[in-house]
This record gives sequence, structure tokens and C-alpha cells, in this order.
Amino acid sequence: MDMIPLALEGAWKVLAAGLVLGAGLPLLYAFAVKGMAMAHGAGAVIGQQTKSPAGKVLTWLCLLVILLAVSYGISFIVATGIGKTVTFDHVIPWFVDKKK
Amino acid sequence: MTTATIILGLVVVVALAFDFTNGFHDTGNAMAASIATGALSPKGAVTLAAILNLVGALLSVEVALTVSNSVVKLQDSKGLPLKEFTANNGTLLMLIVFGGLVGGIIWNLFTWLLGLPSSSSHALLGGLVGGTIGGAGFAGVKWAGDGTKLDGVIGKVILPSLLSPVIALIVAAVATRLIFMVTAMIEDRFREKRFRWGQVGAASLVSLAHGTNDAQKTMGVITLALVAEGQISATQVYVPLWVKLSAALAIALGTYLGGWRIIHTMSKGLVDISSPQGLAADSSSATVILASSQLGFALSTTHVATGSIMGTGVGKKGATVRWAVAGRMVAAWAITFPAAAVMGCVMFWIANGIGGLIGPAVVMVILIGLSGYMWKRSRVNKIDHSNVTDEWHDGSKPEVAVAAHDIIDPHHELDEVQAPSAH
Repeated sequence: MDMIPLALEGAWKVLAAGLVLGAGLPLLYAFAVKGMAMAHGAGAVIGQQTKSPAGKVLTWLCLLVILLAVSYGISFIVATGIGKTVTFDHVIPWFVDKKK
Repeated sequence: MTTATIILGLVVVVALAFDFTNGFHDTGNAMAASIATGALSPKGAVTLAAILNLVGALLSVEVALTVSNSVVKLQDSKGLPLKEFTANNGTLLMLIVFGGLVGGIIWNLFTWLLGLPSSSSHALLGGLVGGTIGGAGFAGVKWAGDGTKLDGVIGKVILPSLLSPVIALIVAAVATRLIFMVTAMIEDRFREKRFRWGQVGAASLVSLAHGTNDAQKTMGVITLALVAEGQISATQVYVPLWVKLSAALAIALGTYLGGWRIIHTMSKGLVDISSPQGLAADSSSATVILASSQLGFALSTTHVATGSIMGTGVGKKGATVRWAVAGRMVAAWAITFPAAAVMGCVMFWIANGIGGLIGPAVVMVILIGLSGYMWKRSRVNKIDHSNVTDEWHDGSKPEVAVAAHDIIDPHHELDEVQAPSAH
């Protein structure tokens, strides 16, 4: 049975990508929310009464990275639709024809 | 109008009908978590999902014509029907596809009645395998491919369905744990509200990906029938615009209808989720679905979405997963492919055995009769947008209990069935 190692190899890659993006992006979002809470101060962070302006910077930094990742996700869906794929061969992601 | 043309018409009708059931069967995959946490109202959620499915389906400019190739030998590598099926304007091939689609629809409706999120792709592929067994024997089925890549029933259906829910579960559990570690010091209400925004974004991605993936399958199947019948020249295969538009509309309308029974099970039956968990579940689903289609690893959106929701229960300390409900779901997953295959095969036999136009007509009558019956059964304990977020009744499990009881023993009334709309 040659399929099981093949399936495990595919599964392993999906799991790795899933952990980096699927758990990584929510982690960033959690930091973004933490930043919002810090900037909000009282009523948002348990035991904190003062507002912390650094929170805003944290929030925007995290959201920026998330937006970049999400736009990659959307471009990938669009690429699937038009029969292309997204590569990083030239650093900047670009649409290319699918490998036959 | 020849017999073949009329059969072709019936294939198109049942293909769109399947696409429609595919829509409402899978609304919950993207939206169950958002509905559960209140990030979106039930109506708002299905509307958003329907629009994104429509957009996703319309993005399908380049449609894969080789949908069925992974499990059956009906087409060559370019998507053209194989020679042995093209006699009599491809009647045999059309009847195989027809039987398969009807089998898939019946199974989709049955699992919807039971409120079980089973995989629509498995229902479609299972039905096609069944039709093929009926029309070309077991040799017509590609069980394992040639061993160089993941292919065939084992490589494209069985192995991924064992692995993908586990992957989604792990990713969602890790995401949930990380979120709660980072936001431990944040007030509940503040956190709940902020996480809803992110959750809607992640759910939207799942919907969009679903539209591009699933509507394409119907487009491919309809085009296959058109080529077999001779409506489209075999030398210049293309997907007609009307096929794309009608498939996109069918899946969007189905999604808008919103399989509430399945959404209820997914949003309330498995885990009670808060919005950070919802974000974790939806992000996990979105990335696992996109990563696997990028890596060519076939999987079912349904299995991933359900695995993710269970994962958020595993990942949060103190949360409980209702493993009994999960167990029933896994049982439904396991039998979806063979059950749809049996139905597809029986429907092919009826259509082909009686033959002519009467055969397919009898199958249509059976399909309409069974659909009507199941719809009527669903009214007994109706679940819609107004009561979809009602609490899960572990003791009564209304939809499953009533429907299952009814099938086993239709002449007895159930004692004290608690309606899901108890409050």
C-alpha cells in the first residue's frame, strides 16, 4: 500500500500550513484585541485603569499582517477560479498558469 | 426531440438540484460558528454566505472538467467521455451520471432530515461510483489509482476523510489555546465583541472558497453530459455560460435556504462556542481548506468545518465536546460514500432496466416522491432561522430522534418529544 505514506505526507504539509496560518493568524488577532484592550484601559483589561497608547500600535501592526495574509488567501481563491495558481517565485506573489 | 436529448435535459435538472442541496447542506460549514456566537444573525449569515458562494462560483472561469476522474473511469484525461460510453448519443453515460446524481440528492436530503452534516462531495462521488458500478461494473471504478499519487476512492475519498477532520481539530485546538492565553487578562465582554469581527472575516473566506470549489463540480458534470450527448463538440470542449450561471445560482439559492437542521447540530450540538473559539474554528477551516487545495490534497469542507468546531472545544479548558453527537456524525461520514453509491447504483438500474424514457421518468417520480416525503417529515419538528440557536436538548435530540423513530416505526407516536422551539 503506497498510498498511506503519500496521504501522510500530504496531511503533514496541510497540518504544517494549518498551524502556521490557521493558528498563527488567530494568535495575531488575539494580540490585536489585546492591543485594543490596552488602549481602551478601564473596563477592558482586568485590573488596569490607565490607557496605554502602545496598544494601538500593537493592534495596527497585527491587523496589517493579517490583512496581507487574508489578501493572499483571497487571491488564491480567485486564482483557483480562473485556473491559475499563485507563486512566490519572484518574491511578490503573482498569478501563473497551473502546472499541467 | 430525441430520447437522448430528453435524458440530457433530466441530467441537467438533477445536476442543478444536486447543486442546490449542496448549497444548503454546506451553509453550516462556513456559518455555524458565526450563528452560534451571535456574530451574525441567522438570516444575515445565510445571506452573506449565499452572496459569497455566488461570487465564488462565478469566479470559476476555468472549470475543471475532470471531476469524476478521481474515482471512476468515465472520462479521459482531457475530460472527454470514454469511447465505450458514447454509443446512442451517450445514453449509457448520461444514465450513469443521472443515477449517481439522484443517489447523491437522496442521501443529502436524508442526512439533512437527520440534521447530520455529511459531506456533499462524498455524496456526489459516491453516487457516481454507484452509477458506474451499475453501468460498467466494478472495473469501471478507480479504487486506488496507480500508486504514484493520491488517487482513486482510497486516495481521494477514504484517506483524506480520515485525516482532514483530525488536522482541522488540531489546528483549531491550538488556535483556541493560544487565543485564550494571550487574552486571559481581558474582560469577557470586550473580548467577545472584538472577536466577532475577525470571525465574520474568516467565515467569509470559507464561504468564498466553498463557492469556487463546489459549484465547479456541478458545472463539470453537466458539461460531461453535454459532450456525451453531442451538444458540445468533443474536439472543442468548453463550459457554456448558461451552465456556469445556472450552477452558480443553484448553489447560492441553496445556501440562502440555509439547511437550518444541519446548522443547529453544528452550532449547538457539538460545543458551546464563544466568539474567540468561533474565530479559531473558522480560521482553521479556511486555512486547512485553502492549503489542501493548493497542495492537491482532496478533502471535504464538511469534515474540516466539523473537525474545527470540535477542536475549539478540545482547546478551551473546561469546555465540553458532546462526543455522542460527534460520534453519530462520524458514523454518517463513514456511510455517506457507500450509501450514496448503493442509491446511485439502484437508480441507474431502474432507469436503465426499464429503459427508454419511462426508466428515467420512474426515477424522477421516485426522487420527487422521496423529497416530498422527507420535506413533510421535516415539518414535524421544524428548525428554521427563528429557532436555530435554541439550546441543544441532549435528552431528546429532537431532529435525530423523531426522524429516526419515524423511519423505523412510522405508526407510533414518540412520547414527549421536546420541540426545539421550547422557548
